[in-house]
Amino acid sequence: MAVPRIQTVCGFGCGSSLMLRMNIEKIAREHNLQVEAFCGDVASCCANDCDAIFISKELGDRIKDRAKVPVIELDNFMDKAEVEKKTLDYLESVQ
Amino acid sequence: MEEIIAEDGIQVGCTADSWEEAIRIAAQPLRARDSIEPSYVQRMIDAVNTLGPYIVMMPGLAMAHAAPGSDVLVSDLSLAKFDRPVDFGSDKGPVEIVMCLACKDREAHIARLSRIAEKLMDDSFLGRMLACTTTTGLYELING
Repeated sequence: MAVPRIQTVCGFGCGSSLMLRMNIEKIAREHNLQVEAFCGDVASCCANDCDAIFISKELGDRIKDRAKVPVIELDNFMDKAEVEKKTLDYLESVQ
Repeated sequence: MEEIIAEDGIQVGCTADSWEEAIRIAAQPLRARDSIEPSYVQRMIDAVNTLGPYIVMMPGLAMAHAAPGSDVLVSDLSLAKFDRPVDFGSDKGPVEIVMCLACKDREAHIARLSRIAEKLMDDSFLGRMLACTTTTGLYELING
């Protein structure tokens, strides 16, 4: 099947979303899973082609009603256990 | 290897009465180094007013930033440690560490952010940052 495309989202697509993207890529590598991750900003993310959006809890409410793909909210982008669980749960759900 | 944050980009022992002031203080080294123009500082503050305190990425740490723009002259990163935690109104509580990120485009700063992301994923790293009392100590911890 196609490699899942995850869009990580923060306010402007170049700060915390980038750090979350790195963390998701690292976790996928550690588990030998394929994923294509890229960054987006909260204003335009719903228009970008992807299979899921990973976003902070604070910003999630702004896009949940508009997003056409699953929105996965994270409490703490730097909490390895949380990022790992939510990334693996998502990747397993689309296997 | 390029340093993640320059030593003159790091401040300790800071105090601020508001989160706006905390962002202004944390951004001072970026101004002093001519990495940003004053309008970028205001844009970082506006971002919190518009989007909320999501810049509190994890308990204890906020990373202020705004969109790339012409008021960013050099992609750069600064960090200030506050003696009294600063309340951004986040559910994650007040923070001692405020970082400011200035990005000229969406790519130039990736290597540095990637290295700090890796460090912050280590559960003990924030505690070690909070234990540092000197700029040299923080510089060595972050860039080590």
